[in-house]
Amino acid sequence: MKFSNHLIILFTIMLGFALDDFMNPVSIKLFVELNFGFLIFAYWVFALPEKIQSSAALIYGLIIDLLFSNVIGFNMLFFITTSYIIHLYVFRFRIFSYFQLSVFFSGSSTIYTACKYLLLSPYNYSYIVLMVSFLITLVLWVGIYFVMRAFRRSFFSNL
Amino acid sequence: MARSTPTYTPVRNYAFGFILSVFLLFSDISYGTFAPLRGLVQASNLYAQMVSRSIFENVSNLLYSFKQNRNLTQENKDLKEQIHKIRTQEFIKSKEAEKSFEIINFQKTLISSLKSKDINIFKIASIDLRNYLCCSTHKIFLQNLNQVQVLENTPVFAGSSYVGQTKSTYLNFIEVILFSDTKHLLPIKSNFFYCDARGKGKPMLISCKLNKNIDDFQNKISDAIFTSGLGGIFLKDIEIGNISAINSISINEIEVVITLKTNPLEENFFGIIGSEADEI
Repeated sequence: MKFSNHLIILFTIMLGFALDDFMNPVSIKLFVELNFGFLIFAYWVFALPEKIQSSAALIYGLIIDLLFSNVIGFNMLFFITTSYIIHLYVFRFRIFSYFQLSVFFSGSSTIYTACKYLLLSPYNYSYIVLMVSFLITLVLWVGIYFVMRAFRRSFFSNL
Repeated sequence: MARSTPTYTPVRNYAFGFILSVFLLFSDISYGTFAPLRGLVQASNLYAQMVSRSIFENVSNLLYSFKQNRNLTQENKDLKEQIHKIRTQEFIKSKEAEKSFEIINFQKTLISSLKSKDINIFKIASIDLRNYLCCSTHKIFLQNLNQVQVLENTPVFAGSSYVGQTKSTYLNFIEVILFSDTKHLLPIKSNFFYCDARGKGKPMLISCKLNKNIDDFQNKISDAIFTSGLGGIFLKDIEIGNISAINSISINEIEVVITLKTNPLEENFFGIIGSEADEI
């Protein structure tokens, strides 16, 4: 894959994290922690598994950590782990229904949120936030999936 | 059944990435290894924002002035513009006067509270709102355009009370850790107890645990809390907040929750005692 394509993918992930930064101060009052950035990354690995490999996941994670996170290594760790799991079961995911995919990606996002709170902010750890976020992400994932698919088809028609 | 990756990436690459990430994460959480790097990136971000904002303003001003020139032929509009200009100037003048008045008032408060005349006043550059409203890390950045030498761990004053301590300086910005940050400990006292209060990770809240019975704290809600000065950093007897809740943890242990007096979101100017001031 061309370097410019990597830049476009990274830009969309950064856009997702910027959106999280913008919306989470408001949504947290409703017990919702949004993870657009993480879900967009997961979508790209799911859609282009043969193009986004371990090194790309590691570098994307490092850049996101530098720009958006409070610690270096957190997004690297989750990006590489998610990337590995998606690569491992990518053929199985192809026969999953939208609902099954939503459950998987929403669950991954909830684990990401839970670990973020446990490692970086244990005082604010809350089961209600995790449960509500899971349910909201379940719905949001479908939207993200279709928007990102349309984006991918318009920008990466050759991939 | 796919039990191996469909790509040509071997598992060892993932294992290597995983171990590297865990190592970086552990070293950063435990020892803050990359704190200077993050601070530098954040400061650079702020610079980029400031530069892009000024460029945008200049461009929009330029475009606006072109528009104005085109409309100069119409006398009626000229007059309206003049009136508008005068009103804007007056508004700016009144705002400038308000700002000067605010700074003078703040300086007076600082001098009377801290008994020191070597006080530097900084304007806020940014507050990490994302973390401030949800998470443990509560910090703000102050603009240090004159590059005043500021020592680490110096108390920071705002409104009519302390709000935090300087942590470090990056480029022309001073990083300040607020009392409500969970990593911050503040020695405090009231009329009947002393303790080290830790930030609760929630806006304007700190708390401390005491080995006392909840019955001893009847009618103590809204009692004033002062700095004890025991840490050697903050002056003693500066009021920092009030008791807002008392929670029983066990039979002989309670948590006293204190709401801080100053809301950093409402403050524009922050005072720091100069490095050449007398030792406290």
